[in-house]
Amino acid sequence: MSERVVVVGAGMVGHRFVDELVRGDREERFAITLVGEEEYEPYNRILLSEVLAGRADLRALTLPLPAAERVDFRRGVSAVGIDRDAGEVLLGDGSRTPYERLVLATGARAFVPPLDGLESEPRHVHVLRTLDDCRNVAARAINAKHAVVLGGGLLGLEAACGLRRRGVPVTVIDLDSHLMATQLDGGPARVLAGRLRALGVDVLTGVSVAEAISAYDELVAVRLIDGRVLAADLMLVSCGVRANTALAAGAGLTVDRGIVVDDALTTADSRIHAIGDCAQPPSGMTGLLAPGWAQASQLAATLLGREPLEPTEAAERPEPITLKAAGVDLVTMGVRPSRAAADDRVLTVSDPDAGRHVDLVLREGALVGVTVLGFPEVSPALTLAYDRQTPVPLDPLSLLVTGGGGAVEESPSPMRMPGTTTVCRCNGVTKKQIVSAWEDGARNVDAVAANTRATTGCGGCREVVCGLVDWLNASDPAESVSTAVTERNTPVETTT
Amino acid sequence: MTDTHCPYCALQCAMTLTPSVEEGVSVAPRQFPTNRGGLCQKGWTSAAVLRAPDRITTPLVRSAQGVLEEATWEEALAYVAARVRSLQAEHGPDSIGVFGGGGLTNEKAYQLGKFTRTVLRTKHIDYNGRFCMSSAAAAGNRAFGIDRGMPFPVSDVDATGAVLLLGSNVADTMPPFVQHLAGVRERGGLIVVDPRRSATAALTDEAGLHLQPLPGTDQVLLLGLLHLVVAQGLADEEYLAARVHGWDEVIRSAALWWPGRVATTTGVPEASLRRAVEVLAAAAPSRGGRGAMILTGRGAEQHTGGTDTVTAAINLALALGLPGRAASGYGCLTGQGNGQGGREHGQKADQLPGYRLIEDPAARAHVAGVWGVSPESLPGKGVPAVELLGKLGGEVKALFVHGANVLVSAPDATAVRRRLESLDLLVVCDFVPSETARLADVVLPVTQWAEEEGTMTSLEGRILRRRRAIDPPGQARSELAILRDLAAALGSDVHFDTEPALVFDELARASAGGVADYSGLSHALLDATERPLHWPAPAGSSGTPRLFATRFAHADGKARMVPVSPGAPADDLRAEAPVYLVTGRVLAQYQSGAQTRRVEALNDVAPAPYVELHPHLARRHAIEDGDDVAVTSARGTAVARARITGTIRPDTVFMPFHWPGDGMANAVTNDATDPVSGMPEFKVCAVSVARADLLEVTA
Repeated sequence: MSERVVVVGAGMVGHRFVDELVRGDREERFAITLVGEEEYEPYNRILLSEVLAGRADLRALTLPLPAAERVDFRRGVSAVGIDRDAGEVLLGDGSRTPYERLVLATGARAFVPPLDGLESEPRHVHVLRTLDDCRNVAARAINAKHAVVLGGGLLGLEAACGLRRRGVPVTVIDLDSHLMATQLDGGPARVLAGRLRALGVDVLTGVSVAEAISAYDELVAVRLIDGRVLAADLMLVSCGVRANTALAAGAGLTVDRGIVVDDALTTADSRIHAIGDCAQPPSGMTGLLAPGWAQASQLAATLLGREPLEPTEAAERPEPITLKAAGVDLVTMGVRPSRAAADDRVLTVSDPDAGRHVDLVLREGALVGVTVLGFPEVSPALTLAYDRQTPVPLDPLSLLVTGGGGAVEESPSPMRMPGTTTVCRCNGVTKKQIVSAWEDGARNVDAVAANTRATTGCGGCREVVCGLVDWLNASDPAESVSTAVTERNTPVETTT
Repeated sequence: MTDTHCPYCALQCAMTLTPSVEEGVSVAPRQFPTNRGGLCQKGWTSAAVLRAPDRITTPLVRSAQGVLEEATWEEALAYVAARVRSLQAEHGPDSIGVFGGGGLTNEKAYQLGKFTRTVLRTKHIDYNGRFCMSSAAAAGNRAFGIDRGMPFPVSDVDATGAVLLLGSNVADTMPPFVQHLAGVRERGGLIVVDPRRSATAALTDEAGLHLQPLPGTDQVLLLGLLHLVVAQGLADEEYLAARVHGWDEVIRSAALWWPGRVATTTGVPEASLRRAVEVLAAAAPSRGGRGAMILTGRGAEQHTGGTDTVTAAINLALALGLPGRAASGYGCLTGQGNGQGGREHGQKADQLPGYRLIEDPAARAHVAGVWGVSPESLPGKGVPAVELLGKLGGEVKALFVHGANVLVSAPDATAVRRRLESLDLLVVCDFVPSETARLADVVLPVTQWAEEEGTMTSLEGRILRRRRAIDPPGQARSELAILRDLAAALGSDVHFDTEPALVFDELARASAGGVADYSGLSHALLDATERPLHWPAPAGSSGTPRLFATRFAHADGKARMVPVSPGAPADDLRAEAPVYLVTGRVLAQYQSGAQTRRVEALNDVAPAPYVELHPHLARRHAIEDGDDVAVTSARGTAVARARITGTIRPDTVFMPFHWPGDGMANAVTNDATDPVSGMPEFKVCAVSVARADLLEVTA
């Protein structure tokens, strides 16, 4: 008799957990039920802002379906209760699903602060958490004249850029003194704000919305706490998330900010686990995807009776956070300068006029913090250097040189080229050999080719050989042969 | 004057040989669609190997004192036969192993497989093509139902609008091929993926794109490109619906590889990813372009996930509707001269001639019929090369090596040496005393390219004639004669022809009806026509230059897309080994160097191994250009001169693999293999670097 595992939540973490459990369960020990509240097939929530921005087709978000023969996937059904005594999950359609093991991956929902004027639930106030949210915001964007994004965090900024791309004037409002205060210091945040303004996204910090003003149940404006009123016919609330804990709380499980679990991701009921955004393990809640995936892997390994992999050094390193928006390239990870230890080395390059800013934090020679804004050509390399802890150059600033410091050498003119320069790579022919061939009477490219084999491989050096022959032919024919070779192989300094 | 083709790589440049006193023959390039009258320095100097000073011209047998001494053919073959008999009597037929090569002619490769299955009756045969083509072969078979490196003639490359070239440094490995890239370079359509700005990557300098990913992340890169194709609605949905299975699953497999994540995993900027997709899609015929191609080489394939990486490349090609369209498709650039033919006629552990599966009863019956043996007498499937080498000294007590120098070319060389030394019998057929031959109990001298007749199948699946210009020196003999004589000495009554044209005729019959069908071909036909003859060439056909125009080779005519998911290298970065080693070839040397290291002109250009590293890494370790650098992995250390260059990633070092001794790259590489293809992970392992003198002080 197989063990019945019920997973509540078909988001990215629940999906990953089911995938890993099915992959590892070759003996088919588990009968798996996956309960998903949304009507849709599992999708990549991370990319909703890309869809909003019109940069990604919905199709690109769809995740692999759980294997139908292994997983009973209940789509569009919510779990409304847990009967722990009977070992059953109560579903919104009135049915009950028995479990021997229950995994809660209920995720989180967008937090909407209790603003005046929202009690009446006016239209055109949105959050961006689900595919339906995304569709609603996109639909409203067609007619919106001015959008307000409440919350200058990662998602809020991505959404603001997305709306702007759709042609909607946007104002981002954040109570903190600067944008992305959870991740960024003031310096880079100010450069970021400048960058956003350049894209046409207005940024107001140190202020918040006090009231949503509506007429005929439709949002028309927002009043700020400083009294200003902004016309707004679309408000996107992006003020962080709250874990979905009601199901667990209703079943009498311990709930704090999330569902409280131990290091093994188990609640006080040894048959019930929680992973992802809804879970509150001793290490804390991050709201990020990678730790949620790591929990999914860990729990799957535990259920499969495997030793969960020791958390690697990399897994314990704070994950890079990337802002996905056309025209803004921001990645930040690890220690930021304001939180650096006394012995840390902090390097900052700030170029606000060009919308660029880089902070590097090094601890004992290792890269422990990176913020890079407006350098799309080096940000992936910096992220890799941090993430994989590859050797840092003695001068860490050289990390900012495009192409990893490899200057492309200019091909010198025939005259200035040293004699030992290989002209024909295919046949290993040097300038010196070509000069010799010319001295021996080879006065055109074909004759040089016959003599030296230069140009007879890929033919790519034909132009250079041509140039050499022309230069040689143009030089004084009366010149003595014996001295010509040495002289011509000496780099000639030209005067200007 | 004899028209033939170069002894080295799979481009098989055409050349004309004229007998000459000094070098045996003089070489002149010949106009041909692949090389267009070009030759690289290896080809120009290829005659030097004919008269290599240490050329083996008599059989050698190791004496009681442990020295290789000259022997007569009768003595040598009788000794080998006696040892084989006694080992098989004691340990069974599978105690003998055979290791073949992708440089052997079709005739030799065929005969070696036949000898193994009918005389030795061992299942243990595989070949060095496992190190070369196996991942692309496995992926090609899986997707298309057929594995022909390039399913179109090389000349199609001239016409295409975009080429995505992954892990292939053609400018060094097959220079005349670069001529075919001229058009696409001019059109700004060349995209090269390589952790180094190789000579090939540098071809993109003026127009084009060089993507320089972290080693081991090609598959992520390809999934990222596929994601963008889906996200931007650039897929050829009509083609996919009509000609492909599995598109929906493959779309989903790319859902987690959005551009930002791909950029930070591979190190390739997002803008470059987007640009690459733009270029490829614009060139796709379905969008009115002149054609687009995706080509892979060993850099993408020699990984534990190599088959899946090629599959990802094929998926991308199919998504854009390329395979089977004009000047479009997926192709693999074969490495060895007969890497293509060598894998079609029975050297592979699981195959019989004609690319037939040895476990398929119908295939066994057909081939056994041609060989005049009972199907039941044929052994079953053996194991891939690395696994075979792992059995040496254990289950496998004796090894025959043909056209390979495993001591230098196989991964984890120190372990390979130990295993070769533990054999009861090592028989090496070679024309020079390669590093492997020097370990042998018996060395049998064989003919080389200008001294023999036969056929080779080039990277475009075209069957070419190799022709004899001069007589072999001393007592050197063709493997065809050796295998016949060994069969007789072992008391077999199976018939072995020694005339290459007759062997080819038999091969053609054995391949008839198989995937790689040669039954419509003969030496006489190949000699009589200038027409390019590509397989499949069943009797009565005139060959197949282009595959897939109307159908793929699976029974239902459709291609199969298979979702893949990338993994990490088997030997990944860690604090003690914080940089990656990648290996590859240089222009003036070839493979294990057994041939090219015997050519003075080539040694003048490429005299010794080296370690290419970035100035950042060099400075951190106080390494100056020319210093001896020790590159150390969990398996071993190689020491070679530093070449400091900004053209390589700072987290990666490169070593060419042509040399034995202290600088032997394969002492460092990993023998972990791809679970599907058996391909070892030559192309990425974690290493530390240090200045060699400092290492000795601290050691």
